[in-house]
Amino acid sequence: MATVEQAADLQVERDGPPGWAVVTAQELRDLWLGGRGLALSVAFSLLLSVVAYLVATNTALNFLEHRESVNLVLQIAIAVGGLLTLLAGADAVSGERERGSLESILLSPVPRGQITLGKLLAALSLWLAAYAITVPYAWFLGRGVGIVGDALVTGGVVGTMIAVFLASLGLIVSLFARSNRISLSLSLFLLLALFAPTQLPSNAQQGWAGELLLRMNPITAGEHYVGKILTNGHAWGEDVSWLLSPLVAAVVLPAAALILGSRFMQLRGGVVE
Amino acid sequence: MSRSRILTVLAALLAGLVFASVKVATAAPGEAVSVNRALISTDLGHKFTFRSRITNNGQAAARGLIAHLNIVGLDPSVYIDPEDWSSHRTIYLDTLPAGGSKTITWRLQAVSAGKVDVYVAVFSRRAIATAPNTSPAIRVAVADRKTLNSGGILPLALGVPAFLALLAFSVRVKRRRQPSSEG
Repeated sequence: MATVEQAADLQVERDGPPGWAVVTAQELRDLWLGGRGLALSVAFSLLLSVVAYLVATNTALNFLEHRESVNLVLQIAIAVGGLLTLLAGADAVSGERERGSLESILLSPVPRGQITLGKLLAALSLWLAAYAITVPYAWFLGRGVGIVGDALVTGGVVGTMIAVFLASLGLIVSLFARSNRISLSLSLFLLLALFAPTQLPSNAQQGWAGELLLRMNPITAGEHYVGKILTNGHAWGEDVSWLLSPLVAAVVLPAAALILGSRFMQLRGGVVE
Repeated sequence: MSRSRILTVLAALLAGLVFASVKVATAAPGEAVSVNRALISTDLGHKFTFRSRITNNGQAAARGLIAHLNIVGLDPSVYIDPEDWSSHRTIYLDTLPAGGSKTITWRLQAVSAGKVDVYVAVFSRRAIATAPNTSPAIRVAVADRKTLNSGGILPLALGVPAFLALLAFSVRVKRRRQPSSEG
């Protein structure tokens, strides 16, 4: 949330840092020094603590169930980390509009595409924090079954792709939403819709149609890949085709957000009521 | 002995004979199943393999054979889910010619500590009410090892949120002080 004074900071001199870097720095200050990012991080760590405690104190787990529990913690981290970036993205433009600070940002000599990029990068910092918080939990639970490295690398790669996708999705919604409330609720609805296939009974997930649905959805495809490596002990290359939709989503959605941001970032929202 | 009692005893004998004729089914005569190991010692979480050999000792080709891997826990306090030990436990075999044999390699992962018996049963899709041919059971001894330190979770579960809360608090305090010091 930038103010008129902060907008002055966005006056980019020719020899100074690029506009997107100035916007990112400003957004990061607002997010982390304003306390919002840290409050969300505390809530996130409490969630992981509860799950990790329940898993670690369950003495009835066999070796495979132990691996599954590491997978569970990582899936929660990816899902909630993605949710945080989605919310930050969904608040990025419509939130500024409602707080009356978008005008000063638009008046700054920074191209709107770069403003969008700066806000996107700042939103992604929430995922980076969530990932950093996940590391000690993954290490604690995964070291006994020897999957700490796999958990951190697959979680990092898949989680980053999903976070980029969701932050961009939230930002696109935020560009067009008339109010911040609409932007946040529509983004949450889309997120729930994307997560819905994970709750389908296993029979419905089988067959070509079920597999196609899971493969096309970046979230279900990414989580499927993580699960195959951590629970089933598959090699990295064995299910790599499942990463296609997360990869495509992590490239196409940010590109779309930058293009749409440079053309449609306006004082008044619209299109999405 | 009264007449009704004699009838009851006869009825019971008849029922017993009928039951016995169903239960005492003959094993399929043609196939023999052997395994290459009798005892396997491993550690919790480790993977291991063994081979079974199915030989058709009959005069005719054997069609529709199914080999199935079974795992039986010997400790009543440990629940064994065979699906956890091996995800490929059923193999549908091609036709085995007379005198021919087929070797199958079974891959397992020891997911519970303790002793289990592992054996292979061979069924025929064509035979009804015949007992499967089974291999000798392999005794698998899985040495326990600690994979989770449940006592150590509490410092982590409390420490991480506490550290972040402290960080959030100090940032908040610092931010509150800043305007007054500047002003």
